[in-house]
Amino acid sequence: MNRINQKLQENKKLLSIYFTAGYPSLNDTVSIIQDLEKNGVDMIEIGLPFSDPLADGPTIQDSSTQALKNGMTTEVLFNQLKDIRKTVNIPLIIMGYFNPMLQYGVEAFCKKCKEIGIDGLIIPDLPVDVYHEEYQATFEKYGLINVFLITPQTSDERIRFIDSVSNGFIYMVSSASTTGAKSGFGNEQAAYFERINSLNLKNPQIVGFGISNNSTFKAATKYAKGAIIGSAFVKHITANNAQNIDAFVNSILK
Amino acid sequence: MEKTKTMQQNLSNSAKTDMQLKICGMKYQDNIKQVAALKPDYLGFIFYEKSPRHFDGVMPQLPEGIKKTGVFVNENLNTVIETVNKFKLQAVQLHGEESAFYCNMLNTSKQLNEPVEVIKVFSVKDGFNFEVLKQYENVCDYFLFDTKGKLPGGNGYTFDWSLLNNYPSTKPYFLSGGIGLDQVDDIKKFKESKAAKYCYALDVNSKFEIAPGLKNIAILKEFQNKLSDKTMQENYNVDDKGYYGNFGGAYIPEMLYPNVEELRQNYLKVMAEPEFKKEFDKLLKDYVGRPSPLYFAKRLSEKYNTKIYLKREDLNHTGAHKINNTIGQILMAQRLGKKRIIAETGAGQHGVATATVCALMGLECIVYMGEIDIARQAPNVARMKMLGATVIPAKSGSRTLKDATNEAIRDWINNPVDTHYIIGSAIGPHPYPDMVTRFQSVISEEIKWQLKEHEGRENPDYVVACIGGGSNAAGTYYHFLHEPNVNIIAVEAAGLGVNSGESAATSVLGKEGIIHGCKTLLMQTNDGQITEPYSISAGLDYPGVGPMHAHLAKTGRAEFMSITDDEAMKSGLELCELEGIIPAIESSHALAIFKQKQFKPNDVVVMSLSGRGDKDLNNYIEYFKI
Ligand SMILES: Cc1ncc(COP(=O)(O)O)c(C=O)c1O
Repeated sequence: MNRINQKLQENKKLLSIYFTAGYPSLNDTVSIIQDLEKNGVDMIEIGLPFSDPLADGPTIQDSSTQALKNGMTTEVLFNQLKDIRKTVNIPLIIMGYFNPMLQYGVEAFCKKCKEIGIDGLIIPDLPVDVYHEEYQATFEKYGLINVFLITPQTSDERIRFIDSVSNGFIYMVSSASTTGAKSGFGNEQAAYFERINSLNLKNPQIVGFGISNNSTFKAATKYAKGAIIGSAFVKHITANNAQNIDAFVNSILK
Repeated sequence: MEKTKTMQQNLSNSAKTDMQLKICGMKYQDNIKQVAALKPDYLGFIFYEKSPRHFDGVMPQLPEGIKKTGVFVNENLNTVIETVNKFKLQAVQLHGEESAFYCNMLNTSKQLNEPVEVIKVFSVKDGFNFEVLKQYENVCDYFLFDTKGKLPGGNGYTFDWSLLNNYPSTKPYFLSGGIGLDQVDDIKKFKESKAAKYCYALDVNSKFEIAPGLKNIAILKEFQNKLSDKTMQENYNVDDKGYYGNFGGAYIPEMLYPNVEELRQNYLKVMAEPEFKKEFDKLLKDYVGRPSPLYFAKRLSEKYNTKIYLKREDLNHTGAHKINNTIGQILMAQRLGKKRIIAETGAGQHGVATATVCALMGLECIVYMGEIDIARQAPNVARMKMLGATVIPAKSGSRTLKDATNEAIRDWINNPVDTHYIIGSAIGPHPYPDMVTRFQSVISEEIKWQLKEHEGRENPDYVVACIGGGSNAAGTYYHFLHEPNVNIIAVEAAGLGVNSGESAATSVLGKEGIIHGCKTLLMQTNDGQITEPYSISAGLDYPGVGPMHAHLAKTGRAEFMSITDDEAMKSGLELCELEGIIPAIESSHALAIFKQKQFKPNDVVVMSLSGRGDKDLNNYIEYFKI
């Protein structure tokens, strides 16, 4: 079974962490992954940096620009990760924009992910209908789980379609925003979470965007299976030069 | 020897036309290479000493896929076979009175190193007895019908093709004899006729020559372009899934989906409403000042010995074509109940046009502009502010147009309910390229009736426009896209030179990929990171090109030309001196093609003069040290 599906069966709320590969320094990728697992993180999203990350706020944009300056490329990332499964067991997801994958070759990209032991992908600008028509068969051939986003504006009908195409979890964007934009959860989010719950989807949901600390993590996982922290963690590794990851994770899970 | 027959599949292989092309009578080494670069399907070499095109030179290496064809007239069979082996010919054309027996001997000869296609020629004049074909049915691969004349081939006139209506065979044939540029229309008509069903290839020769055996490359190229049948078959408009061929679509994050989907579901409906049309037309007339004149540029025409008409978009309110689109989109935004308008801008032209219509309608306006462009384009920043817009610097990435576009998209993600994003060119996710094109199509709509007044015909021979993202071009081409006799020329900015590393010639330097929500040609690294273009003209300084234009480039419907900074600046100044018009530097790129391409004296060339040069005065001053 795919590691993501296994993880989702565990009887606990999951913490998933996003970071940009190749940042702050080109070769921090592997040690960050190892430190995250050691400190009890359940799942990791490895950001493949892109020059024009449309769905991201300033924190992740800046880390992407820096990672590219550091020399990060698709090839370099695959090389850094080639032995990752010797030391790391938790699910690993690559999150990136579609153009670099298209240039690498979608099938070649998927094949490489399987070889390395990547479990899934999140590609914000690959719409679910295009995926379904053109790429789903390829992803499934290599045992990869593709994760789709939904937002408070996504209609019930479309959510059901996304649910039918998904085979891992649904990435529930907490509010209409780019990454890192808002903090805190209000009544609007609560209503949205309730609405999703009432749809009884086959895929569990993990909440992302706007989660930065213990209280937002708790609020998000009150309804959902887990939560994803991105910008707050990127800020932490910026300030701590990729060190003290234990302190960050503990502050969330305390 | 077992013959590998490839011709049946060849029937549909040709990229340029649905008929194959054979160019015959090749003689001179350099000329052969140039002609080969046009990728004809067959190149003919005449091994007949009495012909002025007799080939006795050295055979250059030819690209794969071109079949070298030896033409023989009643030649000794062994000589034919030796020649085939020596020059590695893939086809033999028999132009004399060779018998069916002779053809069979050749076809089945064990002395051939490789099999050859056998083409048997028959000369036709006022009539033809198709009975004679019967005995040749099984011993050759193709027939070729040529005009009967003094010489075997190369006589320079056509026979009556309607005779082929009685063609009794199913064997594919070559049509030959006097075919030239003047026959393009006849060929197109012929293709529609019953006679053409088994017409496999066109064979051309003497009508494309500077001297016997020396081919005129430019005219051959023109012939290929004109014949390119796609003009009639291909759809150059967007399809119902939002694609132009392989290009277009909506590659957007889910957060944008509801906005874009709302627009997609409504844009055509709204544009079709009589009230909408009325208001749009009225504003274009009373506020923008349309129709913009179609001006016959007399002195410019004299200088370049052709007929040049300028479509004066520079005379629009705010000084460019951009306002056609912003008027349309602001009316659309109102219909959709939006209260807040965002836009991106590079040079500031689109920002000014957006700020203008927002002031007109009393809507809030936020314009994203790269930090670097804000510094370069101070007067337009001031204009936007005077018009009540908020200008927000884009500080991410390279801090120019592409980053301003990213920022506008991010704003839209963060404001999904009350905001409309007015994109400034024929780019972005579907339906933007199509919507912008439709609003700009007023340009070609006017050209049609205006040209009729000037020239007595609606269709020019050429339409020309510069391309940044491609909105003035899309508007200029729109009503001519499916007119096969109208040639389309797209002019891109070469910056310091296409291969200088400082360029914006996307059709040359770009690869297929995704930028700002659409699949198109864009400049990028091998790793798929979008790169920064360069051009002296801020309006052409975009790393992608609208998906319609990517499709026009890929299908060959449009001819793409690249113009450097220097060429554009000089042509801009030339227009000032010859016509008393100071053009925008973007438009100057289009003007510069007359130095690269020679038009015929009677050609009618309509060019979009997309904007006026006021905004570029500082650039002109610096460049010419005025
Ligand atoms: C005068 C003028 N022409 C052309 C362009 C290029 O844009 P497009 O290719 O969308 O027509 C611009 C863009 O700013 C412009 O200002």
